[in-house]
This record gives sequence, C-alpha cells and structure tokens, in this order.
Amino acid sequence: MATNTTTSTTQYPRRQFLKSTVAAASTAFMAPMIIPSSALGKDGAVAPSERVVVGGIGIGNRGTYDLGCFLEQKDVQFVAVCDVKEARRVAVKKIADEKYGNQNCSMHRDFRELLDRKDIDAVLIATGPNWHATMAMNAAKAGKDMYCEKPVTKNIAQSLILAETMRRTGRVFQAGTQRRNLPHFAFACQLARTGKLGKLTRVYAHPAGMQAMMSGWLIPEPEPNPETVDWDMYLGPAAWRPFNAKLLDGFNFEKGGGLVGGGVLEWGSHCVDLCQWAVDDCPPPVEYDAPKDGQLVARYENGTELIFRETGWIPLGSCPVRFEGETGWVEAGDSGKLVLSSPALLAGRTVEEIGGYPATFHVRDFLNCVKTRSQPKGNADAACNAHIACHAANIALHLGRTVRYDNTTHEFINDEQANRLRSEALREPWRL
Amino acid sequence: MRNLDQFARSIVHMVILITMSAGAFCQAEGPASSPEKEKELLAILTSDSPASEKAIACKQLAIYGSSESVPELAKLLTSPELASWARTAMEAIPGPEADSALRTATETLSGRLLVGTINSIGVRRDPMAVDSLGARLKDSDIQVASAAAVALGRIGSSEARQLLRQSLTSSNAEIRSAVAEGCVLCAEKLHSDGQSAEAVALYDEVRQADVPAQRIIEATRGAILARNQDGIPLLLEQLRSPDKGLFYVALSTAREFPGADVDQAMATELAGYPPERAALIIQAMADRSDTVVLTAILNAAEKGPETVRLSAIDALARVGNMTCLGSLLRIATEEKGEIADAAKAALGALPGESVDAEIVKLLGTAQNKTYLLLIELVGSRRIEAVSLLLKALDHSDKAVRRAALIALGETASLQQLSVLISQLVSPKHTEDSEVAQQALRAASIRMADREACAAQLATAADQTKQSAKKVSLLTILGEMGGPTALAALEKAAKSPDLQLQDISSRLMGEWMTEDAAPVLLELAKLPSNRYQIRAMRGYIRIARQFVLPDEKRMEMCGKALDAAQQVAEKKLVLDVLKRYPGTEAMKLAVKALQNPELKDEATQTILVIAQKLGSKGVDVKEMLASAGIEKMKLEIIKAEYGAGATQKDVTEILKKQISDLPLVTLTSATYNASFGGDPLPGNAKQLKIQYRLNGKAGEATFAENAVIILPMPK
Repeated sequence: MATNTTTSTTQYPRRQFLKSTVAAASTAFMAPMIIPSSALGKDGAVAPSERVVVGGIGIGNRGTYDLGCFLEQKDVQFVAVCDVKEARRVAVKKIADEKYGNQNCSMHRDFRELLDRKDIDAVLIATGPNWHATMAMNAAKAGKDMYCEKPVTKNIAQSLILAETMRRTGRVFQAGTQRRNLPHFAFACQLARTGKLGKLTRVYAHPAGMQAMMSGWLIPEPEPNPETVDWDMYLGPAAWRPFNAKLLDGFNFEKGGGLVGGGVLEWGSHCVDLCQWAVDDCPPPVEYDAPKDGQLVARYENGTELIFRETGWIPLGSCPVRFEGETGWVEAGDSGKLVLSSPALLAGRTVEEIGGYPATFHVRDFLNCVKTRSQPKGNADAACNAHIACHAANIALHLGRTVRYDNTTHEFINDEQANRLRSEALREPWRL
Repeated sequence: MRNLDQFARSIVHMVILITMSAGAFCQAEGPASSPEKEKELLAILTSDSPASEKAIACKQLAIYGSSESVPELAKLLTSPELASWARTAMEAIPGPEADSALRTATETLSGRLLVGTINSIGVRRDPMAVDSLGARLKDSDIQVASAAAVALGRIGSSEARQLLRQSLTSSNAEIRSAVAEGCVLCAEKLHSDGQSAEAVALYDEVRQADVPAQRIIEATRGAILARNQDGIPLLLEQLRSPDKGLFYVALSTAREFPGADVDQAMATELAGYPPERAALIIQAMADRSDTVVLTAILNAAEKGPETVRLSAIDALARVGNMTCLGSLLRIATEEKGEIADAAKAALGALPGESVDAEIVKLLGTAQNKTYLLLIELVGSRRIEAVSLLLKALDHSDKAVRRAALIALGETASLQQLSVLISQLVSPKHTEDSEVAQQALRAASIRMADREACAAQLATAADQTKQSAKKVSLLTILGEMGGPTALAALEKAAKSPDLQLQDISSRLMGEWMTEDAAPVLLELAKLPSNRYQIRAMRGYIRIARQFVLPDEKRMEMCGKALDAAQQVAEKKLVLDVLKRYPGTEAMKLAVKALQNPELKDEATQTILVIAQKLGSKGVDVKEMLASAGIEKMKLEIIKAEYGAGATQKDVTEILKKQISDLPLVTLTSATYNASFGGDPLPGNAKQLKIQYRLNGKAGEATFAENAVIILPMPK
C-alpha cells in the first residue's frame, strides 16, 4: 500500500486511460457552447463584438503563465499591462505586441490608469498576495470583471468584504484556484459532495508548511527610481516598511500589518478550496485545534473534520487532497491521477487525466462567465469560505489553542484575541 | 450585506462587553488583554527604539492592547512610516478611546494620513464621527472627501445618509462616485434592516444621479432586489436596456431574484429579445433550476435562430427532463452540424432516471440513425441494457458494432467480461479489435471485484498465443493494479519473450503500491532480464517517492546500492539518502564512499546529511570523521548570480550562510528567493563563487538552484 493512513482495504490506481493532451482538451473549451461557429470568422478569429478585452496587472512569473492561458483564447484581446516594475511592463508589452503584430499594448505603472480605460472588460490580477483583495475590489468598483490569483485575501474581514463587493457590483470574479476546473479533482469532489463515499467524515488538505508569522522589516536598502520599481505602489495596502530587494519576488508572506499566513494560506487556498468544494461549499469549519503531531484538525458544523496534514500522502504530486466517507475514500493530486478505495466508485466513468495543474480551463470558465454573467467555479463566495477556513486555522496556529468560529456573526466565540486577528488596517490611501 | 453588518456589529458588541464586563473576558478561553504584555509593548513605543521595533509593537498591540495604549498609538498617526501599523492596532482595540483618538487626529492631519485615518473610522463605523466626516465631504482634497463619503456609507446612520444624499447632487463631480458608493452601502443596510421602501428611494436617487456607470449598475441591482416582487418590471426593463452594463447586471440579478414569478416573466418575454440577448437570458433562466419554465426553453431549442437554439439545447442538458427526450432525439438525428452535436451532448446529460428507461424502451424498436444514437446513449449514460448491446455486436454496420462495444465497456458486469475479452482476442470482425481493447480496458478499471477481473485477464493473457494480444491484456492489467495483476506482470517479465519483458517492466516501473518493490529488485538482479536497469530505477522510485517507514526505506536503499550495476543508479540512491537524511542514511553514504566512482557524489551526500542533521542538533563530528571529512574554514571571497552581463553581487548573502563545512545552505529553496529576486527572468542563470577552503583559493560555478558544495581546491 502506498499509504498507511487508509481506512479501506483496497485502493485503485488510475492511470492514463485517455491520451488527451492539455492542448487537445483545451481545444474543446475554445468557445462557450452557446456561441455557434458561425459567429467565428473563417480563420477561427472571433468577431470583435464577441471579444473580451483584457488588461493585466502585476504580471510576473505566475502572471506571465496566466497571461499565456488568456492569449491562447481566440476571443481575448489583451490591450494593456500594469506593473510597478518597468522590466515587466516592457516584457509583457513585447509578448502582447508580438502576438498581435502591432504596438498597441499600453503600459502603466499605476493600475488606476488601466482601470479607467473604458474599453477594458476584464483584468488579470497577478500581483503579490498583498494586493489581491484590494486590487480586486478596486477593479470591481471600476466595472471590470477579474481573474485574481490566490491567495485572494489576507484575513477574514477581507474575505467577507470581497464576496459582498462582488455581489454588490455584479462583477464576475474568478479566484486563481484552477484545480476546480480539472477533471480528476472535480470528480473527487463530486464523489464526496454527492454522497458516493457515504457520510463524509474527513477531508484532508496539504498546508505545505504550517506556520503563522508576524512580519517585520528587513534591512533598509536604497529605494530604486520609481520608474524602475515603484516601491510605494508595490507596497500598496501593506503596512509601510523600507525598501529591500528581497521583498520584490517570491510569495512575500512577510508583508502586511497583521498576521500573515504561511503554507496554510498559500497552499491551503488551493487544497482547502478543494476540500470546501467536497463539502459542497458549505460555510467553513466552526472549530480549529492547534496543530499536534503535524496535523491541524478543524471541524465543520456537521462534525466532518478538515485536516491539514504535512505527511502521509499517496505520491500523486503536489496539492494532494483526500476525502474520506463512511463507505469509501478518494485521493487526488497534481499528477492528474486519482486513487480510490474501490473501482466501483468510478461507476463506469473514465476520468480524464490532466496533470500539471494547467489554468487554461479555469481561464476559459472565467471568460464564458464574463459573457453569460454566470458564476465561475472559483467565484467570490467559494473563495471567501475557503479563505476564512485558512485564516481561522492560521489564527489557531498563531495562538496555539483551539478557536471556535461562528459563521453567522463571523466572530470567534469568547475569544477576543482571535477576533482581533480577523482584520488589519490598510496603508493609506487604500481602502476596501 | 448581512455578513458585513454582523461583522461590524460584533466589533461594536465587543466594545460594549469590554466596557461593561471586563471581568467576564478574563475568564474566557482567550484572554481579553494582557496588561504585562501591553506594558512591555508600550515601553517600546515610548522609547527611542527604531521604527521597525515600534512597528512590530503596534502589531502586537492589535492583539494585546487596551485603551491604555491608545494615546501612544495615536501619536504615530502623524508618522508616514508608522501610521498604518498604529491604525492596525487602533482598528482592533475596542472602546470609545480609540474612536475618539481617531476623530481627534482628523482635525490636524491632511493628505494621505488623513485619508487613512478616515478609512479606519469607516472600518470602526463610529457614529460620533458623522458630523466631522460630513464636513470633510467638502474638502478640497478629492481623496479626503471620497474617503469621508465611503466612511459615512459604512456608518450608515440616518444622519450619514442625509449628508450623502445632499452631496449626491451638490458635490464635486470628482467625488460623486464615492458619494454614490456611500449611498449604495447605506441602502444595502436599510434593505437588510427591513426598511426596503427607504432603500428603494435611495437606490433610485443614485440611479438618477450624474455618477459613473458602475455606480448606476450597483444601484440598479439594489433597486430591483429591494423592490422584491415589484422589482420584476425593473428587471425586465434592464434586460431590454440598450446599455450593455445594465443588461449584464440584469442577467446576474435575475439569477439571485427570489420567487418563481420572475421565471414566468422572463419566459413570457423571451421571444421578443434579439437572438444574442435571448441566448444569454436562457442561460440565466437555466441557472434558476428550481423554478425554471422548461417549456420556454424547450420551445427555444426546437426552432428559431441558431444562437438561441444552441443556448437552449445546452440549458436542457442541465434542467431538462423526460419531456425533452423526443425533441432532442429528433434534433440529434434529423438536423446537422453544431445543433445536432449539441443535442447529442444534451441527451447524454439529460437529467432523470425515467429518461434511461425510455431510451431502453426505444432501443428495442429503433432503426438506422436513431438506433445508433440510442446505443451511444446507453454507453454515455451507462444504462443497464447489456442484452440489447450484445445483439448489436452482430450488426452489419461497423459504426453500430463500435458503439455497442464502447457501451459495453461502460456497462458490462464481471459476468459479461468474457464477451469483451473474446472481442479483443478473437473478434468476429478484425476491424473491431482496437475498439474492443478500449472497451475491455474501460470495463476492467471500474470492476468492483478487481482481483476477479484481473484473474480473467491474466488467464486470457496466458492462453492466447498472439504476443500483441498478450501485450494488450498485460497493459490493461498494469492499469488496474492489485496483487493478481502484479503477479501476472511478474510472470511475463520473467518469460523469455522480450516484448513481454519490455511491457511488464515498464508497467511495474510505474506501479502505485510498494508491493512491487521486491519483484522489481529481483528483476533487477535477474541476468536473463534485458530490462534490469529499468527494474532497478522502478525500485529506487518506490524508495524515493512512497510513504514508507524510515527503516524500510533505508533497507531498500542499502539493497539498491548493493544490487545496482551501474554508477548512474547508485547515484540515484544517494539522492534518496539526501532526501531522507538520518544516521542510517549517513552510514550508507559513508559505505558508498568506498566506491571510487561514487566518491564525489557520496561526499556531497554526506555533507548534505551532516548539514541537515547538524541543524537539528545532532553531533555529526564523528560521522564526518568516519568519512574522512574534517571541519574546515570556509571563506567567501566573491559571489555573483545571474546570466551573461547581468550579474548580481550576492557575496554578502553567502557570507552569512557559511558554516565549518564546504557547504552553503541558503535561506530559501530557490536561488531567486534567497538572493532577493530574479536578476534576469526567463533566463538560465548560474552562481559563480570565489572562495577559500582552509586557506586554499578556489572557484566554482553552480547551475540555478543546485546544492552548493564547494570542492577542495587543488
């Protein structure tokens, strides 16, 4: 057996039944079902009226990957880039201009200029996590739909306000939780959600580093020319600190004026999000224990446990999740493979195996919803619940004790210290 | 709005509780405050400590601070560096003192610092601040006036509403957007508090105001929902609006509108919309699955513009039922192109068990295109109709046989597996063989009794004389996994047939359970096996990737080091040891040092293990001595990271990371993260280090993210 944590006596590996490649699969998603090919030009180009005009904000490494997923969609016209780093503005403009054979991609240092453009329908937000929620809400208030990288929020208050803002503004929001649009994760969640595993008892998420930190300042370095790197805009809503080049790349958990999440938030915004999907996107757990023996256990209202654990996974690649019910279990990871307690769970289905967690399908889902105004899979309500679970777990981790959360009042019960960690001030002049 | 209101109210609630019964909090699980801790933190704020320490103290005060901290925190509101840190604490500390301090600060602050302070007042929803915020609505600084407008909206009292209403028409155009945002926030609060008539009036005022389009959109959504059922005409008006933004918000608002009357209203008007709009409205109607008017969607699917029909057919896949079956079958068989394809897809997903029963019933008498389609549906819907499918296997039309085989793959039971095995091994029509293999594979992987299924396949593989068929059956067994399949593959791997050796060793190399390990080790040692290296790599893969007890993993590594014939495989084992450092791993690495061909890699491994164990407090001196490695003095002279002409000086960073081993461990897993960023995104970079080991100067270059082990200079 590949795992010593299973409760079932059999497990069933899924291998490559379909040879569909990502590229082939993405072809099937090239246009939403409701748009007939007659609406497309003979060369496959999309009529201008059907195009979604997109701008990109904060396009670094991850953003460049996301941008590639947008650019391969024929109904996308990418017209503007905003980045606080000049090198990235220039690099992204080059990509876009080469794609379209023109010089039309505009460059901006201040995202508000980009949001002011009336021709832009939607934005890709791939800044550092520090900016995500604030930027998303600014975009929504400017009338843009958005695909926003994760983790989406920095605390519980931001999570709630994000969901409210998207409802109020009527904008389409897709969190960068692309695994919601991959077939094996979707199937695993469906098994859990539809009772095929029996009554759900435990859902497991991989936190990839359980730590909650209180961030500090790094050694001051000379601040660069704002045209090269606009440090003030880079910090944005984060509490002020002096420039240090180390903060310019990577995940930068260190920024912020309050509690900052480690892997529980960074990785949990994927794994916990899938667990939330498995429990039918119900409100987040109501009780969170402090970590013990490499596990942090949280409990939903109905008693189902959400378990953050570092080890004990079947080797199915990164971002593993496992769902256990009274009659069966399923485990899945980024390899695209599933392991099931019984092949009977397949009930005759074949599940397409797409490894490497591509975002192509998630981007397509977003674009379809921009057109139909439906809710994409990583919508703001789903993201809100998943992120609250991560933040609450981080608070239990930080305080080192059990905390209990009331999903009606959004308070921790009889725990003022925990309650004070639900939010933090934004640096002036930013607000949500 | 309810969530946020409750959230904000909970803060107010906390204020009351703190004021009235502080003692109660002392008994709560999480203490309300920690006077000692607060005293320490306040001492930092009042000292001449560096700003960085004061920042952290502010953050801690967000948890431990009380009203005692407010005066010192308030002093920092004038500091561009520390104001946001102080406000994090002031937004969290309950009690009127923080509110008062923030209000007072607004009297003297200006610019961004004033904006931030006003934002914090908005977060705390301080009703006492309404007058001063109202005055700020006329501030010449647009940012200040806008912040005040939104803060008033968050407070949402009748006084705040009044001020915002006045500004909606009188204020500067540049702040009107924020005033409208404040009005919408107030209206949401009114609606959630049950004052819907007042909410409607306020929403309508915003809709009539000269404000940006997005504010009109938000007010329109609110105006529709606040009117409740009386909002339907307004919703329909927006669906007809020439403004795309209003049409779009009507589509999303339609999805959240309560009751069933709105479904009927949209259905009644559906035919009157332009096709592009009707197509989108149908999608919105279908998202209301509990109350959708199905007949309207079915009508739209049957006739009309192609765009509308495609949308309607797609919607039927989600919300259709038995009543749609006939129409969809007709469209799928009598029409062409995308419409027919869409209907087939919808038939595959059409909800309802009665649909399955009707498909079986129709299958008994159907002919031609309909017959073929129904067989395909039996497969795609996984309907129990095996006897009818077996009959179709004898059909003269290849397409029908193919569809029947695929359907059998989806539906056949263990008892019917032999039919599919026969179709693979000895098909009546040679051309059906490939499809039969697909079908058998689909059936085998879903069988509940995997071992019984594997036994049938293994027997068939034994009995057939055709190598290609044996390979096909073994491939399916490999995909299934389990003890019986493993035994069948082991047997094939030990056979003299090279083709069988090839396929079986490949499949076992990807095995998903550790029980393949002993088989792979045995095959790796077997002289008659042409694929010994592949078997050894499969064995090492299990040691590297699987969740195993440490003892078991090290035992496997030891056996692999002994059995591997090639240096490359031995090096793979050393990589596993690096990944799972421990005393046993160290012993194996020291043993590997005896092999001259492994000297460099084994030394590296020993150093990496020593470094990791050392960081956990294990004394590694003796271990290193047993490997003939002494501690040494390492000096970094110069280090650069980058590519081509773009080089970043990382000398000082590396100097901080050296130890008394010729090994440098970075603070992060990647060079970019450790060296403060990527100096040249998208390019392969190198790290060049000039150094001295025990006084001897050397130079070494490392590929990006390689382990940094510095060789002893010659």
